Amino acid sequence: MPPKGGFKKKVAPSDGTVTPHVPSLAEQFSYLHNPRPFKNPNYTKNINRRAKNLKTVLGQDRERDRAERERRKQEILETQPGFNVEDFYEVPTYALIESPPYLMPQRHFCDITGLEAPYTDPATGLRYHDKSVYAAIQSLSPSTVKEYLSARGVNSIVK
Amino acid sequence: MDATENIVRLPIYSLPTQPLQQQLYDPYRDTGVPLIIDNGATTLRWGFATSSTPFSGQNAIAKYKERKTNKPLLLFGEGIDTESGARSQARAPWEGDVLLNFDALENALDYAFIQLGIDTPTINHPVFMTERIATPLHSRALTSELMFELYSVPSLTFCTDGLASFYQNHRPQPGTPFTSDGLVLSFNTASTSVIPILNGKGILSHAKRIPWGAAHASDYLLKLIQLKYPNFPSKIGIPQTNWMLQSVCEFAPDYPAKLRELQDPIKLKASERIVQFPFALPVQDEKSEEELARAAERRREQGRKLQEIAAKNRMEKLAQKETDLQYLLDLREARSTDSKREWASKLQSEGFDSDTALDDTIKKLELYVKKARKKEAGEADEPMEEPSFPLIDTPDADLDEEQLKDKKKQKLIKAGWEARMRARKEKEREREEKEREEKREEEERLADLEGWASHLRHQQQALMSKIKARSRRKAALTDRKSAAAQARMKNIANLAADDNKAPKKKRKTGGEDMFGADDADWQIYRKISITAPSSDEEDDITQLQVIENKLLAHDPTFTDQNTHAFLTTQRSALLSAFRPTYEEGDIEGHTRIHLSVERWRVPETYFSPNMAGIDSAGIDESIQNIFNRFSESEKARLVKNIFLTGTPSQLPGIIPRLHNSLRPILDPDIPIQIVRAADPSLDAWKGMASFSQTPEAATAGVTRAEYDEYGPERIKRWWGGNWNGSV
Repeated sequence: MPPKGGFKKKVAPSDGTVTPHVPSLAEQFSYLHNPRPFKNPNYTKNINRRAKNLKTVLGQDRERDRAERERRKQEILETQPGFNVEDFYEVPTYALIESPPYLMPQRHFCDITGLEAPYTDPATGLRYHDKSVYAAIQSLSPSTVKEYLSARGVNSIVK
Repeated sequence: MDATENIVRLPIYSLPTQPLQQQLYDPYRDTGVPLIIDNGATTLRWGFATSSTPFSGQNAIAKYKERKTNKPLLLFGEGIDTESGARSQARAPWEGDVLLNFDALENALDYAFIQLGIDTPTINHPVFMTERIATPLHSRALTSELMFELYSVPSLTFCTDGLASFYQNHRPQPGTPFTSDGLVLSFNTASTSVIPILNGKGILSHAKRIPWGAAHASDYLLKLIQLKYPNFPSKIGIPQTNWMLQSVCEFAPDYPAKLRELQDPIKLKASERIVQFPFALPVQDEKSEEELARAAERRREQGRKLQEIAAKNRMEKLAQKETDLQYLLDLREARSTDSKREWASKLQSEGFDSDTALDDTIKKLELYVKKARKKEAGEADEPMEEPSFPLIDTPDADLDEEQLKDKKKQKLIKAGWEARMRARKEKEREREEKEREEKREEEERLADLEGWASHLRHQQQALMSKIKARSRRKAALTDRKSAAAQARMKNIANLAADDNKAPKKKRKTGGEDMFGADDADWQIYRKISITAPSSDEEDDITQLQVIENKLLAHDPTFTDQNTHAFLTTQRSALLSAFRPTYEEGDIEGHTRIHLSVERWRVPETYFSPNMAGIDSAGIDESIQNIFNRFSESEKARLVKNIFLTGTPSQLPGIIPRLHNSLRPILDPDIPIQIVRAADPSLDAWKGMASFSQTPEAATAGVTRAEYDEYGPERIKRWWGGNWNGSV
């Protein structure tokens, strides 16, 4: 067992050349030099595996799920021919439990005020509540219009 | 008027002051007490299972090299804020909803273990850790690898956080199995999950994850604020909108009804919350009346002194000139007495070439002295006096050469003088005309004020509609397909055609091109020019101002609110209630954010993510989807216990909102009960801590031996764990 209380110091005696200066707040918060005896010194992290990005990870997950599904299907069909396998094997994967698209009736809201919007400006595509908002839309610059649209997730396509 | 109770002040953020406080490890040494880690996307919570509450910190780390001392720093959680440059270097283990950045996770876990004071060569505690529902296996594999190979834990159990929180709030009696039913709504940072539970088992195959979480809501609010206040002076970021989301936003039980209510500008105004950002008033040194008076007096005194000095200078100069003049006059006197030679040398020594030069100088000096004297006496010079032109009427024959020259000069002077007089007369006549006009108008006004006013008002109306029509035409011309633009193109085509035809016509018929014979012809060029003639615009506006000033002065019913300037800059009551404006220079007002519709608009996105452009079913629709896969009796068991957990579930109004949208899709006799976790933020951790101390817990985890045999993705199938990768 290592000596008790041996690791209570804030900053480890790293190299002995500590110049006498008042440590900044950030230095006081830094735990870079705190000893970490609990870590396995022989562990080497697999940098390649760690460097995967979100898209690859999700893509792999989907691909594996599909392959697994196929394998299980074959397995079941071999033992029990004619069995409806679609309902049987159901492992929820990240992609599978994603909510379906929005299917409720679409409601239109004013892009400027958020109130109900019965109208759409044909020139900009902005939805608006009444004529006073329409007047405000008229004075918007094209870039502002674009920002309003992108808040609703409509990204205009450059023609 | 100013509803001050609606103002909420943005809290002033202060830096954290408590650096890492290491705990004593001794009470836990060799005890094998489970170590519980709730690895949330926003907050990391950790602690031993026997503690009542976990330690927690923002789940992010920053590696940073301090510029001054060149020292590398490693900061965790709130500590990142202590170094401004470190903020941009911050890394979070989570990327959206997926655990992906394992370097950051390793550093964050290091912090947790250091903080717990663990000083043994391995982490000798069974570890319970949260996992996102249906996590990608890659995340699990790397987490397991870290835990078993780097920290050498004896066993590792992954638990989904929503289920753990549900467990904490429905703990079975010791010795009895966990058999509660319910529907868990777990509100996370980057997603919201709905998990059905029957007989104490999460039915993960029927769970749904909505890709909309607190971070998205906060981001959406930020976007709305930036659009509403594009020139806001203070920095608005995610921390500020997070705070606003938590403090002023709420779910509307019936959103369309709420919107209809807010259509009324008065109600809209009443519903707003004003977020006051910190601001600094410019330093004004207040001066007392006395001080101001003294300063004015000082200024006056200085002015007077300057004037005196100037006057003195003038006097001195005048005296100097006078003595000069006297001297020269005396000199001239001597001419008659001195001999020619003597006189010439005298002149030479005085610096004059000839007699005439001397005379000129004397003349100039005399003129100057005369003028200066006059000025001194305060007399205005009188140019009205007609100068005499004695030579003009004399015939040329009677004049010598010198006189002829003078006559020419006098002629010129006379012509100029006459022209000036004519112009003056003209001006006078105009003034009289104007006065007459004004008088006539005044008489008209006094005789029939109403008629006069209505006449002017008509004129004003006509001018305003003219200006309006012009701006409308301008707007129409920007659209290629508008009638105005088409008419313009037609005109241009016609003109071009004329140009081509003209010579031919000339040749054939000998007819003249009559364009321009009528002045109105030229109007065509004004018509086709896109840039509206600005001079017309200006003329109209000045005329409008004249009319408005007259009306303002005499018509009591015509106020500031009827002027063109007011009418064009006027904003509708709705828009001014939506985003009130403040006067120029009102610093307090300009650092305010008025939130009205947004207060309900942002939470509503949980039910309609498509409002913010995410094409996904909201909470209610997802629940409906899940219900479709259960029998009526199972449905009834689920809705009897709808359980909300996760920090964002604390937004007010969620329970009535959810109730309102679930009631119509269920049988009327099925009771709905919605409850929120006792502690939505901590119950996931607490649930794992409670569970870890039951005998059942030992069967849920993966041991080191199992890890070595089956690999890092394999887990056991149990009520609180994920299904993918499990046996």
